[in-house]
Amino acid sequence: MRLPVVLKTKWFWYSVLSVFGMGGWTLLAKLGTAEISAQTMQFLYPFGWVPVALTCLWVRRFRLEKSVRGILYGVAIGVLGGIGGLAFFAACRTGGSTSAIAAATGMYPLITVVLAVLILREKLTRLHILGLVFAGAAFVLFSF
Amino acid sequence: MNIPAWFAPAIVVLVCWGIAGLLQKLSTNHLSAETALVWLMVGFFLLDPWLYPQESILTYSSRSLIFALLSSLLNALGGWALLAAMKHGGKASIVVPFTALYPLVTVCLAPFLLHESITLQQGAGVACALIAVALLST
Repeated sequence: MRLPVVLKTKWFWYSVLSVFGMGGWTLLAKLGTAEISAQTMQFLYPFGWVPVALTCLWVRRFRLEKSVRGILYGVAIGVLGGIGGLAFFAACRTGGSTSAIAAATGMYPLITVVLAVLILREKLTRLHILGLVFAGAAFVLFSF
Repeated sequence: MNIPAWFAPAIVVLVCWGIAGLLQKLSTNHLSAETALVWLMVGFFLLDPWLYPQESILTYSSRSLIFALLSSLLNALGGWALLAAMKHGGKASIVVPFTALYPLVTVCLAPFLLHESITLQQGAGVACALIAVALLST
């Protein structure tokens, strides 16, 4: 039996690893927030990244690429990720339905898709678009 | 029209995380996934002065602190894998929605680890997520 081509690509398996990493994050974060406030969790958040960053540095033999543009993009991801995290907690503090907030904010990949198509000129097949519809439905259903 | 109070911050989340997804691809066009992760962490630390907790961290139990740090460690691992997926040819328009399906893992493991029950809607969400993964991977 032939394996689908995607199973031979590295990006697919890295994506699967990412799904498990992020899934584990939410489970442990749930246990942590039982006692720790959201703001303190966000404060502690970068410290958990230090061991992984040190491992990355070690893998790169402490020689990082010096692309200014790449560095600016990297720092911007961190800043935007942090601001987004703070805004998420702020939304939760308004007393609104957590399910509705989670469902609404879970749609962020759709912004990325639109930007990737417009700016990066990435092309999507009809099956991809159908996949995005199912992903959107999953985000909403997970929130209940 | 009565717009709920959570709507404005939710839009901030959508915009910030949506743009971050695009920048993840752009950064790995110039940097390795490992280098991008290091600078991403620097970006997180830039916000920390505004988040400095009013209470001492030592007031929390070591168990909770370990959970907090382990959770972000797993998040970092997931973040690195996402950047590596993009570095290895994954499109931002596919990898970001794909990896955003991580609640699939949460919903499946929560009954065993957190003793939470799965609702019918969440079960349907798992089915939708699996179909989405299959379609996005074509």
